[in-house]
Amino acid sequence: MIQEWLRRSTAVDWFLLALRLLVVAVVGTGFVVGLFHPRYGREEWFSFLAFGLTIGAIYALIALGYTMVYGILRMVNFAHGDVFMFGAYTGCFTLIACNRAGLLSENPALCFVLATAACILVSGAIAVLAERIAYRPFRKGRSLAPLISTLGLSFVLEYSARGMFGAQNKAFPTIPMIDGMVSFSVFTVPRAQVVVVLAALLTMVALTLIVMRTKIGTAMRAVAEDKDAATLMGINVDRVIVFTFVLGGAMAGIAGLLYGLVFKQVSFFMGFFLGVKGFGAAVLGGIGNIPGAMLGGFMLGLVESLGPALFLEGLGVEAPYQLRDAIAYTMLVMVLIFRPRGLLGERLSSARA
Amino acid sequence: MFLDSCRLALRRLPLTLLAATMLTTVAAALTRAETVGPVTDEIGVVKIPKGQPILIGGLLVLSGPDLGLGVDASRGAEIAFDDHKNMLVGHPLKYLPEDGGCSVEGGQTGATRIAANKQIVGVIGTSCSSEARGGAPILWNAGMPQALTSATAPALTAPDRPAGLQGIARFVYNDLNAAAAAVKYAQSKGYKSVATMHDGSLYAEQLANVFATQWKAAGGTIVAAEAISPSDTDLRPVLTRIGTAKPDLLFAPIFVGASGYLVRQAKEIPTMAKVPVLGTDAVLAPAFLDAAGDAAVGYRLTGIDSDPKLMGPKYGDLVAKYKAKFGEDPISGFHGNGYDAALAMMTAIEKVAKTDADGTTYIGRKALRDALMATKDLDGMTGKLTCDKYGDCGASYFAVFEYTSGDTSTYKIGTNPKKVYP
Repeated sequence: MIQEWLRRSTAVDWFLLALRLLVVAVVGTGFVVGLFHPRYGREEWFSFLAFGLTIGAIYALIALGYTMVYGILRMVNFAHGDVFMFGAYTGCFTLIACNRAGLLSENPALCFVLATAACILVSGAIAVLAERIAYRPFRKGRSLAPLISTLGLSFVLEYSARGMFGAQNKAFPTIPMIDGMVSFSVFTVPRAQVVVVLAALLTMVALTLIVMRTKIGTAMRAVAEDKDAATLMGINVDRVIVFTFVLGGAMAGIAGLLYGLVFKQVSFFMGFFLGVKGFGAAVLGGIGNIPGAMLGGFMLGLVESLGPALFLEGLGVEAPYQLRDAIAYTMLVMVLIFRPRGLLGERLSSARA
Repeated sequence: MFLDSCRLALRRLPLTLLAATMLTTVAAALTRAETVGPVTDEIGVVKIPKGQPILIGGLLVLSGPDLGLGVDASRGAEIAFDDHKNMLVGHPLKYLPEDGGCSVEGGQTGATRIAANKQIVGVIGTSCSSEARGGAPILWNAGMPQALTSATAPALTAPDRPAGLQGIARFVYNDLNAAAAAVKYAQSKGYKSVATMHDGSLYAEQLANVFATQWKAAGGTIVAAEAISPSDTDLRPVLTRIGTAKPDLLFAPIFVGASGYLVRQAKEIPTMAKVPVLGTDAVLAPAFLDAAGDAAVGYRLTGIDSDPKLMGPKYGDLVAKYKAKFGEDPISGFHGNGYDAALAMMTAIEKVAKTDADGTTYIGRKALRDALMATKDLDGMTGKLTCDKYGDCGASYFAVFEYTSGDTSTYKIGTNPKKVYP
């Protein structure tokens, strides 16, 4: 097999091999040196792990929206990050209203249920809006128009939010139930992070059940595989597309609420950065691949959290946390160098629906 | 057909290049050494016909989490214009503020918009050092001097500053003094080891470095020098890292957004929960209480000492006028600086403007900037202002304030936050 490769390889293949070896060498050195760093004890490593899982869970939920839409429609929905932002604001306002009514301290579970329902409704509605305005009018053509119009819709959503809610950061109210720390034997973790990771996992399980076990979920997978065959089977493709958008929007809405519980501040522009990261996570896991999006999200979160401590400190970089985003995107690029189709492989429809 | 048009363009390329070069040279020559009316100026002359307004621009942060810095100063400037009856050398005065967004790109965008209007004589602002870095060269290239209201980075008035920053006259303190005040405070509390954190912006990075230099010279130790980016929301990893160094104090001269996350998340990290945090008046705004909520209690910051005894009776009048005109108390600590910047600009214009018999006024651009830099003993809100030859005209006493409540409605400089030092 190696002789076969040697015979058929070109200069590009050799370059790629050298690049991959270089990456492994650099990352490996940083990793090994960083692992034995005297600065961090077990508790610190566990804290990094916990942060990584929390932010990873949020990235995963956002990535799911991107991946489902891309899987069926071969189109990146740039407005998805802003659906997330509106979800966060909805959660914020619901909880503030609950707080004012005194319900937050008395019956926090009811408040959370109300907030989740509100987030799903609002985000789902905006996702439907995105489908109607930015996608459906361009179904007939073969151009990149849907891509550009979702970009435009993204700006419209951002600046409408700015006009409605102001340009400053808005704070979530303090929720006594999830305040404070939880201890697992030696390690302490903020309670909010535990709640968020559990809630995110629950949501992902619910999504998997919907996609695998229900009729509409099966219809979604059918359209994702082959749109024409699905139509011949009697599936209403339009309805399935709308449902995909709604499902993705609901995920983003829940992600917004969870983000607010952990970071406690929302601003009108947050959808932009998190949308980019979420899309990166989706590509990392293999675009169109639902388990891939989940895996990609968690991986991205963990690398962001552990990366500076693990790699950059080992390589002797000053103030490594400034380069956190750089690490996250570099890792994305490196994974794609080694596995261009993403971690779990792409799953795209044969033609755009 | 596309290829044909490409080929045609390429053939015409040398001719196009020649024409472009000629045009730019001519245009460049036009903005140099002008004589218009009775005024000759090396950079250019602004001609204001009779009855037309004199235009003063503004480049300040007017939106986003740090709008307190720019809006407060802008309002101070407006009150200064009102006090002057909105008239200057017989012309009405028009103030045109633009949003700089407290970033290099925002400063460039806003400055480009201002520079496009050749009738603008001078600019009030910028409010952020990054805005100045991006926007000041563009403004000075158009010949418009700037009177800074809250951009405090030392690089802007350093002796070796580049040509693009030569149009700057600063009416706020230099961060060298702010760092000295922070060092004095830390010494008074008996701290030995300090960790610094900046957000990569020109202001924060320079101030953190200057503080570190002065602190080490004063015999203290810097146990951690960290950095984040301004849009970072998850500061837990970097705070964990700082926590392992066990500092006595965390000096974090960052803006409202990141500070909000900082105080909230520091409480969740066991090693950082008890470490006091010292910031600067970049977070002297109700927006910070909005962002941080109850976690803001106990947060300390250095700022201009606005004790009425130090500021004089005119300051009390300014606050009263502010409240009457805008319906709320000052939202940050820079209204005095905005007033002084506007006052200095108006005084400089009055000094160099020449009006002819028809009522047309001529203002030489270089002359205006020189007059601004030659400001001497100006009776300003923040003290008696005299500019040094590099454009530093600020005069300030420093104090350390502490927030006592997270309720935004209780924000009032002097009460919440209250003065705790000296």
